[in-house]
Parts: sequence; C-alpha cells; structure tokens
Amino acid sequence: MDHHHLFDVGGAHLSRLEDLRLIKGEGCYAADWNLPRQAHAAFLRADRAHAKILSINIDAARKAKGVLGVYTGADAVSAGYVKPLSMLTFAGKDGMKARLPNRAVLAHERVRFVGETVAMVVAETALQAQDAAELIEVEYEDLPVTVDPRATLEAGAAQLHDNVPGNMVFEQEAGDAAAVEAAFAKAAHVTRLKLDCTRVAPNPMEPRACLVAYDAGSGAYTLHTPVQGINMMRMQIAAYTGVPDDKLTIRAKEVGGGFGQRSIAYTEYVAAMIAAKALNRPVKWVSTRSEGFQSDSHGRANYIDAELALDRDGTFLAMRLDWIADLGAYLHPAGPVSPMRNPVTCLNGVYKTPALFGRWRVALTNTVPVSAYRGAARPEIAFTIERLVDESAAQMNIDPAELRRRNFIPKEAFPYKTPTGSIYDIADFHGVLDKALKIADVAGFDKRRTISEKRGMLRGLGMSTVIENSGAGMFPKDEVLLEVGSDGNITAFSISHSQGQGHETTFAQIIGDALGIPAERIQLQQGIAEKGLIGNHTGGSRTIVGAGTVCHIAAKKLIEVATPLAAEQLGVEPSQVAYAKGEFQSKESSKKITLGELAAKKPLSVTGEGKFGSTYPNGCHIAEVEIDPQTGVTDVVSYVTVDDCGTVINHAIVEGQMHGAVAQGWGQIFGENIVYDTDTGQLLTGSFMDYSMPKAGWIKDITIAEHTTFGTISPLGVKGMGESGCTASLGALTNAVMNALRPLGVPPLDMPLTAHKLWQAITSAKKGL
Amino acid sequence: MFAFQYRKAKTLKDAVEILAKDDEAKPLSGGMTLIPTLKARLANPTQLIDINGISELSGIEVKDGALIIGAATKHHEVATSKVVRDALPALADLASHIGDPQVRNRGTLGGSVANNDPAADYPSAVLGLNAKIITNKREIAAEDFFLGMFATALEPGELIVRIAFPLPKKAAYAKFPHPASGYAMAGVFIAQTASGIRVAVTGAGPGVFRWTEAEQALTKSMSAAALEKLTLAADDLNEDIHGTREYRAQLAKVMATRAAAALA
Repeated sequence: MDHHHLFDVGGAHLSRLEDLRLIKGEGCYAADWNLPRQAHAAFLRADRAHAKILSINIDAARKAKGVLGVYTGADAVSAGYVKPLSMLTFAGKDGMKARLPNRAVLAHERVRFVGETVAMVVAETALQAQDAAELIEVEYEDLPVTVDPRATLEAGAAQLHDNVPGNMVFEQEAGDAAAVEAAFAKAAHVTRLKLDCTRVAPNPMEPRACLVAYDAGSGAYTLHTPVQGINMMRMQIAAYTGVPDDKLTIRAKEVGGGFGQRSIAYTEYVAAMIAAKALNRPVKWVSTRSEGFQSDSHGRANYIDAELALDRDGTFLAMRLDWIADLGAYLHPAGPVSPMRNPVTCLNGVYKTPALFGRWRVALTNTVPVSAYRGAARPEIAFTIERLVDESAAQMNIDPAELRRRNFIPKEAFPYKTPTGSIYDIADFHGVLDKALKIADVAGFDKRRTISEKRGMLRGLGMSTVIENSGAGMFPKDEVLLEVGSDGNITAFSISHSQGQGHETTFAQIIGDALGIPAERIQLQQGIAEKGLIGNHTGGSRTIVGAGTVCHIAAKKLIEVATPLAAEQLGVEPSQVAYAKGEFQSKESSKKITLGELAAKKPLSVTGEGKFGSTYPNGCHIAEVEIDPQTGVTDVVSYVTVDDCGTVINHAIVEGQMHGAVAQGWGQIFGENIVYDTDTGQLLTGSFMDYSMPKAGWIKDITIAEHTTFGTISPLGVKGMGESGCTASLGALTNAVMNALRPLGVPPLDMPLTAHKLWQAITSAKKGL
Repeated sequence: MFAFQYRKAKTLKDAVEILAKDDEAKPLSGGMTLIPTLKARLANPTQLIDINGISELSGIEVKDGALIIGAATKHHEVATSKVVRDALPALADLASHIGDPQVRNRGTLGGSVANNDPAADYPSAVLGLNAKIITNKREIAAEDFFLGMFATALEPGELIVRIAFPLPKKAAYAKFPHPASGYAMAGVFIAQTASGIRVAVTGAGPGVFRWTEAEQALTKSMSAAALEKLTLAADDLNEDIHGTREYRAQLAKVMATRAAAALA
C-alpha cells in the first residue's frame, strides 16, 4: 500500500468535526460540570514567598455566612496527602537518588512560594467561600528567599527543604567527558554562550477547575477536571492520596488548552477531596486567571552554559553543556524528568557531532513549581544547539546554512545511532534545509537588507534546523476501542485527550480511511473512564504515533473480526467475503451485509492496541526580521517552516498546530516572561497587564511547507508535530534578531528580546559601550 | 468579586440622585477598569449604577466650532463615526487604537477620562485640544481637570455628561502600545489650535502632561526635524520592569516625531 496517498480520499483538508459544537458554545468544559448539592471552594494563598506559619486562626471564617468547612495544613497532614508522585526515579551522577521534597496539599508549617495553597474554605456559594477566606488570619515569620536559578545552588542561598541540601534535587551527567575534553583541547575555534530559556506561564484559555464528588457508600471519588488523559491524572491522584485506582474516576470532556500544564494532580484537586469526603457533598472550584498565574505550573526555566568546539573548516568536534533546571519550590510529578531526559535524547541535534557531554542540575527556588510546557525541554536543547551553530558561523565567517550542511547527519546514515544512544529513524536534513532556503528566498536577503537600511531599519535573517523526540510513552500501550452502531456509525474511545488538537477529526479520518467510510460517520469519545482503556495522555507530540496509529490498527482488526461474522450471515466461507466501504460482500453472489446490520444482530466492538518506540520529527524554520532602532521594536516580516512530521493526516490541523506553536515561541522570544522580585519573591508579572502574551495581529503570515519522510515507527509513517513549532522557533527568531544586531557590535542577548531590551542594546552599541 | 446591587439609571437625574444618596455607590459605564477591579476584590461598592443608555450621555455632533461627544459613547463609535472622522480624524484614529476590539466595543469616552489612567489614550486628546469637560454640575477646562495619577477635579457624585473638543486646524496622535496591556507606553497628541501648538503626552509619566519644549520647537517649524535635538527630561517619568525612564522619554520623542511628521 502506498501510504503517502492514504489520506487524500479522507480529506486532507477536512474541516474539524468538533468545531461546530465548540463555536456554538455546546462544549462541556470543567466549570460546566455541576452536581446536585454541590458546595464551592476558595483558597487562601500565600502572599509571601518564604515564611514559617506561626499560627492560623480560622474562627471567623468558620462562623461566616454559608461556610461549611475550613481546612488547613493540619487537615492535609492528617489525611496523609503530603507526598506527590515523582517520576524522577532514575539514578543521577554516581548513582545519586533524587531528593524529593514533600508537599502537603495545604501548606503545613511553612510556605515556599507566593500563591501556595494555605487554607481552603468550602461554602454554599463561591462568593461566600471567597469572603470567608479573607477572614482567615495567618501569622507568618518571613524567611530569606531565593529566586535566581543560578544563585540558588550557591553557598549561602536560602534553603527550601531540609532534605534538599543546597537546593539541589538531582544531578546527572551524560556523554563522554574525556572525549569532549580532548576535542576542545585541539579545537581551532570554541564558541561559548550563556543561554537562558526564561520562565513562562502556559496560560491555556480555560482556567483550571475541579468538581470532586465522594460516595460514602463505596468510598469512591469522582473528579471532573481538565486533563490531557484521564489515566495520567488518576495515577497521580492515587499516588498523592493512597486512594486506589478503582475508587477514583476522572471525568473530562472539552479541555481548553493544555501545553503540559493539564497533566498535573494539583493541590487544589486533592484538597477538594478532603472536603468532599468530610462534608459528603460535591465540592467545586474554578480558578481565576490571577490564581492561575501563581499556581498553574510554569514552563521552561532552563539556564544553560554551552560551548561548541569546531575544526578550522567548521566541522563540529564536541559540545559541552552545564544546565540548570529551575523547578520552583516543589516538584511536579514529571517536572524534573523533561529537562533531564529530553535534552539528552537529542543532544547532538541534527548534527554528527562526535563528542558530547553535559551536566544537569535540578534546582529549587521560591517560585511556582515548573512542569512540562509544549516541547518540555526539546525546544531548550534545540535552541541551545542552534544558537551555538549560528554564533559559530558568525564568528568563523562561514555561511550559516553551509555550516549546517557540513555537519548534518547525511540522508544515507539513517537509522542513525547518536552518541547518547538514541536511534533517529529517518530524516532528510539537507532536503528540508534546501526547501526552506528556497521558499524563504534566502538568496535575495542581502538586497532586502539594503532596502531596509535605506529606511533606517535593521534587517536580519535567522534559521534553525532541529529535531525532537516523539512517540514512546510511559504507559505500557495505547488502546483504542471501536464500537459499531446498528446504523453503521462507529464510536471510537481513546485515552489520549484533545486539549484543542483536533483528535475527533484526525482519528475519524484514520479510522474512516481504514474502513473506507466517511470520517463524519466516526465519533470519538475521550476520557470515558468506564471503558477501562490503557493509554498515554496527550503530550510529547506522541498522540498521532500512539493512539492515532492504534486507530488504524483497531479499524483493520474490526474488519478481521467482523469478516467471519459476516460470512456466517451470508452463508459462505470467510475466505469468500470481501470488505469494502462498510460492507461485506459474498464473492459468490450479490449478497451483502453492512457493518451496521451485523452490529444490529449482535454487539460488535474491538479494541486495538499498540506500543511504539521513539520517532523524530524535524524541520527547518527561517525567520526574517526588521528592527526599528528608534524604538527597538522587532517586526517579523517573514516566517517559513519546512517540517518533516512524517505522513500528514490533515493539512489544516498540521498548519494549525504549527501556527499555535510558532506563536508560543514568538511569545517567549519577544515578550512572555515570568518575573519575580529578587528580594521578596513577589510575582511581578501576575496578570495580562504585565505579562505579554503574543497577540493576534503581531504574527502575520507564516508560510508552512513539508518535506516528509515516511516514519518507521508507525505503520502510518507518522512522527508527530504538536511541539515542533516551539522547538524550531526559539532559535530561528533569536538568530534572526542577532543577525540584524551583530553588525552594530551588539553581544548575544538573553530572551525575551523586548523592544526595551533591544533599544538599550542598540543604544549602548552605538555609544561604543 | 464582592456582592453588590446593580441598578440601571434611566435618566441622568436618576443616576445623580442615587449617587448623591449613597457614597459607596459607583457609576458603571463601560466597566473596563471597574469590572476587573471588582473581580480582583480591590473595590467593594454597595451599588453599581449603570449609566449606559442614558440619552443625555449619548450623541456626537459638531457645534460652534467644537466636536461634542456624549460621555457614554463607546470607543468603537468614536473610531467609526463619520462626524468624528470628518471633523477630527485624529480623535477617531486615537479611539481606534485603544485596547482591543472587545474594549473598544464596551469602553466609553467619559469612563476613560473620569478614570484618568496615566496610560490611557483619551486624556492626551483632551489636554492636547484643551477640551471642555461638561458635567452635571459645571464645565471644567482640561487644564484644570487632570490632577495626576487616577485623580481628577470631579467631585463625589459628579458625572461627566459630554466633552467638547474645540476643532483644531490639524491634529495627529501617535502611540507606542504597552506590549502586555495595550495601554500607551507613550502616546503623543499634537494639535495646531487657534491658540497655538499643543503637545500632550500620555503613558510616559504619572499623568498626562504638556511637553512645552516640543510645542515651542514645533511652533517654529512643524516638522519631525524640529524635534531632533530635543530630549524629554526623564526624571519625572515612569520606570518599571517594562521600561526605564530613559526608554519612555525616547518613546515619547519618537511618537512626537511621528505625529509631527504626519502634520508636516
């Protein structure tokens, strides 16, 4: 079968099947769930970054109108809800075990970041709960704070947890230190950069929320909350509370954005379980945006010192990194795993650099805990490498595209085993680069730069050629259940949960293609706990590789299972039955039976399953910018993406993913930045008045193209593409800005490249400072 | 948010009477500042008196050499009104750059001017054109109206009814929006009025102010070049994580230059 033509029939530009429901306001988001007798929770949060709790007086709150219960750290400790799951279970340097801090779901004896949940009030109405929360009196004794990710590891920094000496949770090394040392010793050129991937707030459109119900008879809990997959949430809640899986049901329908932020069993959800049980009433909580800024997981926050050693002709000899991951005041379950694992997996990027070495340290600070954020340290390692490559090209006066070409892993080298042990399955980096150079008209750049100069503007072009790991997954397999209705329509069930990616459309296309029926006849149900499916949550760009591929497998299995049933009905041997377009036909006669007719006679369903290794989406992005030296404003005048995400199921969805991810990269490079006051640990960017989200209108045309190879991990040839826009854009945009500013003598700048920062840099350079 | 009573006033008299009787009541116009303040539990009024739809507060007309706009007129209406676009296009342009489409379709002229946010756009036009603020009690000249950050000459219970903008020969507004909030980091309104050139700067300082050196320079020559050698004194300007005083001074100068270039 020629897989490249797989999805032409199904509608490569099929409009999203879920959109009509969503734009009509018929979606069911977390705050849309309601239950009879529900009560409402509000949280009192720490207003300081680090302090001992000397006393909490809840008397006035308890007596306030409508109040049903007030809960504090003592209740969290007595429930035993103090130890969140950690996936940081592997060994570090010299066999080091991670030092895992406890976190009571309501702060006990000490607060460690502004926004930490200190007390919970549950009342008849949300307003009453909020009013009463303000009546709680907390007596604090302030402690010194540490918010700088580098300084926090130094002697004399304020200490957060007794069992985490030096605020260092974990240290690991990867690569070959001796080989790297030797390569640097003989290098003709060494490029050194300090590369900060600043802390950002994911800010999904839908605020967090939960509605927790408890059944006293069975001792079972039901949590309605936004997820990326119900199993991931259940696993974490079970670990935090000790409530077994079979007493925990997670429910979710629509999820309004995720980016990694949804994967976590937050303290508010677990605390609500205490109240739901104590009061024997459902408890609902809906976050405000202000609470979100100070309690939703933050993203990135990786701080890297990087060096690249090159031969005289620009051949990469070795790369060395010293990496600090700031995880905030506590550890989210997967928070520290992303920066420890993903950079090592793609440590050489798209290059055949022979020697690599890095040291990674997980640091704690008095800030919001950090977790995965679209790309989860894949963008950080790609940014690190691509900044090194571009600076090297500039310092050695080699064309940046040519320098990349000289060092690419060649097409014929795949599958390619990297120095850190990954197997890149298949790619064509030269082809991707050449296509991008052509579309971006890089050859015409000098002319465009001259025209900009005449208008007093600084023009720059920057590229980034990147690769990232996708596929794999932490659950043992991905399952998809197909149930056939008597009308022949199919209901599919998956664990992988859309937060906006469009699973309902993509999955329906894959199943429809395999069954030869229109995608509109397949309806996807996500997060249906009763089906008991095993599967990975949506994350790491893996859904299309895992659940997506299993949709294909399940559909094929359905035909296989249904064929003998059809043969029986048709009165012929199974070998004499042919399936096409939802119908089984006897080869001997004109007798037919449809899938629907079969299902009407006897329930017809199959569960497909699959387990997949890693695959490696890759791409080249080229950005062209114009900077106004008078104001420092950067205008991205052209942005071109050429990606290899393997087989494309739906071009419109692929383009939408690319738009969103590039916009997030854009946001991070030009504005988004969580800032804490160094002395007090107060959050200075706690609202959209101070935190710059990228806005519609800033981002103009993005030209999206593909140069795909057929991935070898999935029979569909897919690789994934939810995060590649972030992975590639950080480097491309920064390189473009530095390309524009370098001629003035501006040294490498840290993100975000705000207008203010660029104006200062340009002004200083002009003054010769 | 705290609990409050919502009342819709039918007439100006109605609104003024309720406000006079209750010190803790607040008038609600577009609510673009008030509602977020309530949501953040930073204000706890007893009542919100909705003044939208009161006929005395609406209307756009040119009369006796001035453009007169009712206080409850939404930014979008100012931006798109043919009367405004013909008589005072700079004001329509200014209104079209306030906030975002949601804000422009709810926020009002009177609400913005009464709030006197130091980074709001309208105060620069009010001061730059030496407009008259007409309240239910009196007329206040722009020069006497703005009293610094969020402070105005309005007395308790006093409502802006309409604002009269004397029509200039020419005027222009240039704005550098704050990257997060969309308010002005620096907004400069330049008007060639009967009494001379006026240059009003918003966003850069603790309140809207006139840049007299720029007025003098532009009086000699209405051109971008006339401002080249000027530097706005940065000492009294705002400084925060988004920009130093010096940056704001630079932005004010660049915006003034752009507005002047539009008028040259």
